[in-house]
Amino acid sequence: MSKINPLFFALGIPVVVIVILVAIVAPRMGGGGKFAELTPFSAEKYRNDWSSLQGNSYRLDCQVEQQLAFVEGRGRVLAVKPIEKDSSRPAGRIPVFVPAGSADSFEVGQRFRCKLRVTRDLLVVEALERF
Amino acid sequence: MRHSLLSLFGWCALTVLGFAQAPPPGATVNTNGTAGDYKSSTAEGGADRIFNVNSDSVDMENGTMQWKGTTMNLGNSRAVRARFERYLAAPTDNGDMKRYVALLDQIQLLLSAQSINQDNYYRNQQEAFNLLFKAAEYDIDAGSSLTIASQVQKVWVMKQEFRQIEISKAQLDTLRKVQEGIIINRADNIEAANDARSDGSSKSKPLGKASSGTTELGYKVKDVARTEAEILARNAEMTALGLKAKIEFQSQMVSFLMARRYRHSLITSSFYRVLFKGGSQNIVVGAKEVKEFFPISDFVPTLESFDMLSREAIKDTSKGMQTVDDLVKQGELYGAFERLQETFFLGEFEPVVMSYPQEKKREMLALWKDLRELQRLGDERDLGSVEGYVNKVRGRARDFPGAPILSKVTNAMNASNMSLLSAKGAALAGDTAKAEAGLERAAKIWPQNPGVKDFATQVVSRQDTMAQMVPQFDRLFADAKWRDIYNNKVPFGLALAQDKERSAKLLKVIGRIGELDFKIQKASVLFTENNPYLAWDVIVDAYKSESDDLVLAKTRADISSRVGAYSGLIDSAEKLEKDGAEAAALTAWLAAQDLNPPSTICGAAVKRLAKSVAESAVIRATGAVPAPPSEPAAGDEVPVPPKK
Repeated sequence: MSKINPLFFALGIPVVVIVILVAIVAPRMGGGGKFAELTPFSAEKYRNDWSSLQGNSYRLDCQVEQQLAFVEGRGRVLAVKPIEKDSSRPAGRIPVFVPAGSADSFEVGQRFRCKLRVTRDLLVVEALERF
Repeated sequence: MRHSLLSLFGWCALTVLGFAQAPPPGATVNTNGTAGDYKSSTAEGGADRIFNVNSDSVDMENGTMQWKGTTMNLGNSRAVRARFERYLAAPTDNGDMKRYVALLDQIQLLLSAQSINQDNYYRNQQEAFNLLFKAAEYDIDAGSSLTIASQVQKVWVMKQEFRQIEISKAQLDTLRKVQEGIIINRADNIEAANDARSDGSSKSKPLGKASSGTTELGYKVKDVARTEAEILARNAEMTALGLKAKIEFQSQMVSFLMARRYRHSLITSSFYRVLFKGGSQNIVVGAKEVKEFFPISDFVPTLESFDMLSREAIKDTSKGMQTVDDLVKQGELYGAFERLQETFFLGEFEPVVMSYPQEKKREMLALWKDLRELQRLGDERDLGSVEGYVNKVRGRARDFPGAPILSKVTNAMNASNMSLLSAKGAALAGDTAKAEAGLERAAKIWPQNPGVKDFATQVVSRQDTMAQMVPQFDRLFADAKWRDIYNNKVPFGLALAQDKERSAKLLKVIGRIGELDFKIQKASVLFTENNPYLAWDVIVDAYKSESDDLVLAKTRADISSRVGAYSGLIDSAEKLEKDGAEAAALTAWLAAQDLNPPSTICGAAVKRLAKSVAESAVIRATGAVPAPPSEPAAGDEVPVPPKK
């Protein structure tokens, strides 16, 4: 019967748990989150030349401002405001399309992080998570 | 002769009081129902005053004068106007007026009943006669005293003749008595001879002459008859002389009254009373006219009637001049002017009138000229100039009643303009007859109405321009030159009045540009109220349909300098939408709406595009939509997501 010091378990287990948690949360706290691998979406570039962004996927942190349109079976168009790290330069609203397959509900003021794909000039939300 | 003398007296019975009057100073406007007749007559406003029998007044318009409740026809107004104007312009008569008046009073006193008696009967006459020559030395007398002296001397001469005739008559009377005595004597002799013959016939005396002396008796009787005829002739001559003297004297007295030389009339009357005996004191000349002043049945005119008229006139003249002075002192020049006018026509030759100070008369003359000019403007219906002249007269005479004149002028102008408006409407509707009637009415009320002239010119040239205007309108309409058509809407309206199809087109253009002008005006107001984005919205909306309008383009250019970013976003959005990039266009509209939240065009565009994007999103996702119109210059510059 091994004689392992109980104190080892008492201290070790919490440390392991903490390490695991840090490993999971740290990347998200660093700005990446679920779609950390994606490039942040630049509304300014989109406005200036949307065609250069066609086919790409981007990460967008935003807040719902208004639902502009909803077509049953097709989806909805939301006006969202990107959440910028530099709050001194607020970005204007942009329209995003959420296809009808999504079961999520959207309320004004909700924040979420999403994966955008630029389909021609349309910003289509392919995946999202709230935060 | 007597009839014409009476007629003459009738003409002036109270021309005694003046001549025909000058036309009324100032002018008033008289508008009636349709024509708005404009008549010159300041007297109109004073009609009550003129026909008030309790007041003395002059009717400028009709040439009559009211005095003591009796209306007198004064005759030719032009002559009186000139006479009054001459009085105002003439220098005041020189001389010692008080001394002159005292002389005339002295003459009257010498001849008055209180002074003259049996002892001084001839001496007073002679003294008064001599004073007449002294009075005649004054310019103001104008020799009237000499006329009286001449008349008196004539009566004295006639009296001498009268005495000669009486002497001759007495001699004839004596002769007649002698002749009658001779006849009686001869008749007695004949009768005695006849008696003796009768006695002798019984004694059979021889036959002889039966009667002698009858022939002589016959001649003597004829002598007596001739003498009696001569006596009768002398009597007739005396009667004729007396009557002639009486009529001449009375005529002279009336003449002075007619000429408004009241003091001389009084002196003549005084001399008459002294020179003629009681039986000749009744009035022969001018009795009928004097009666008119005394509306009493069975009134018997006397010398005293004449005297009373003269004294009343002198008193009224004096009172009138006092009133004039008082009004001038109070600054009521117009009232003073009217009173002076009345007083002048009543007592033109009264010393108090003739000696009125020249500087005051000059002031009145200036007012008189302004009033005459105002009257002329009224006569010519030059309504546009009346107001200026009324104000000018008011500046000179603050009591001038200009308000009623201006009120009537304004009414007449409005009536003229309304008629003109009606004529224009009729012309546009193609009703030529009605248009002509309206134009004629407007011109009659206010001949110099500038609108009448313009409209008349338009009407006259209408036929000439028709041939040019129609093709011009067609060309501008085909070229969509709405603004050019609008700017010439009145000529086009007149020219196309009969052409219903083109008139409808014209009305459509007028409505279109009217609406555009309203939008431009609205944008300008918003811009000046520091709402440039909303102003731009209005311009953008108008620009969609009227992009060729120069006025709109200018306003757009003015506003665009303040809305660069906003207008850029809208332009970009419209271009993107046009290119099929609806989502990108929606992004641009949202950005524009961020700048101008209350913008309705942004809101509408966002709503429309959002719906369109939602409906077409799946199609886009499947790639069924057309490719984007413009690819980036460098397709390989698509950004690659960085590897983490």
